[in-house]
Amino acid sequence: MRLVIVPSTLALLPEYASIEDPVADLRKAVEGAVAWLVEAAPAAVRGAGPAAKRIGAELLGDARGSGPGLLVVANGSATRTEKAPGHLDDRAVGFDAAIGQALARGDLAALAGLDRALAAQLWAPDVPTLAGLGGFEVTSTQVDYDDAPYGVQYWVVRYECVS
Amino acid sequence: MLRLGRHTFDDDATLMMAIVNRTPDSFYDKGATWAEDKAFDRVAQVVEEGAEIVDIGGIKAAPGAFIDEDEEKERVVGFVARVRAAHPDLVISVDTWRASVGRAVCEAGADVLNDAWGGADPALVEVAAEFGAAIVCTHTGGATPRTRPFRTEYDDVVESAIADTTAYARRAIAAGVDPSSVVIDPAHDFGKNTFHSLELTRRLGEMVATGYPVLVSLSNKDFVGESLDLPVGERLTGTLAATAISALAGARIYRVHEVVETRQVVDMVNTIAGRRLPQRAIRGLA
Repeated sequence: MRLVIVPSTLALLPEYASIEDPVADLRKAVEGAVAWLVEAAPAAVRGAGPAAKRIGAELLGDARGSGPGLLVVANGSATRTEKAPGHLDDRAVGFDAAIGQALARGDLAALAGLDRALAAQLWAPDVPTLAGLGGFEVTSTQVDYDDAPYGVQYWVVRYECVS
Repeated sequence: MLRLGRHTFDDDATLMMAIVNRTPDSFYDKGATWAEDKAFDRVAQVVEEGAEIVDIGGIKAAPGAFIDEDEEKERVVGFVARVRAAHPDLVISVDTWRASVGRAVCEAGADVLNDAWGGADPALVEVAAEFGAAIVCTHTGGATPRTRPFRTEYDDVVESAIADTTAYARRAIAAGVDPSSVVIDPAHDFGKNTFHSLELTRRLGEMVATGYPVLVSLSNKDFVGESLDLPVGERLTGTLAATAISALAGARIYRVHEVVETRQVVDMVNTIAGRRLPQRAIRGLA
């Protein structure tokens, strides 16, 4: 089955569109990964909170179902810079780097051990969602996006997993 | 769709029409662009500032030295041709009431005939029709060109403006002007005292409701000056306040001296009104 991770930024929602897209590169990566996800099979949404579920539903549209595909709506910390939503916390970059390395390796089991108390301090409420992916056994990985343009860490990653 | 000569615009587009005077004596710039090269530089500047339209005029609106048709053509026709050649994407409007001048400027490449004197020359619409030009139908309360209002009163100035501009619009369409090329303008201060211009501003939505695109020409006018007791040169803030009210009411074309400031006000108001998206919003969304 296919699994895709996209960030839970509200900027992806059409009701918050601008004339000039502030997340154009991210949106392109998200749309490409979601298209890849649903070309195989309908997908379910997993995310923490109503906004993440709303973003997932918006991205999947008619391809939303009960699976076997899975769209995970989650991102890293929001305290990476002085201008970040949660201001600067020096621990954020290292915290995100550890997650990013695990994601790039396809080692979802490694996410289970993430420090949830630290995640809360780093404005990363999606981390428990990522930590819950430990049961997926990844057979191939493609990282489409790994950046933090507004002090919030975003990833777009495609996985093939053992069904 | 709004069609201005060789150019078309969406129905939600707002347009900046920058004033370019080929006169030695207009009230605001006092001859700053009387030299043709200065006027040409002014065109380049307003294009750079984002104006979609230039409105070229060879005769100041206020009373003054008589300018005959040949002199008016001398001032504007060659200049229109020069601007047409240099700025193919720019809408060229010419501020004239004379059909003979209208014909000459259309032959030189004008897209719009801005008849600031409300149909004083009835043949102007036929010229617009013949050349596929747009026409601006203004309200003057029947004033003779280049006269000041003197104790003019209306039962209802807005009703008068709507009746006269839409009658003019129908006459233009009957003469063969494309209905998508007809614009109406209440003509603030033309045949009107300050109270009339204020009421037209306050009730501009009634003109918008006619369905014709509405042009407003507010820039640095006496109704602003008298409202604030400020001379020409100190009326920009008041002009922009009137601009904001007009934008909220749904005006489409803004005839202006100051392009950048007016564009910002119109865009901000339309963004508040929900008719335009923010340029780039990420605050609180990332």
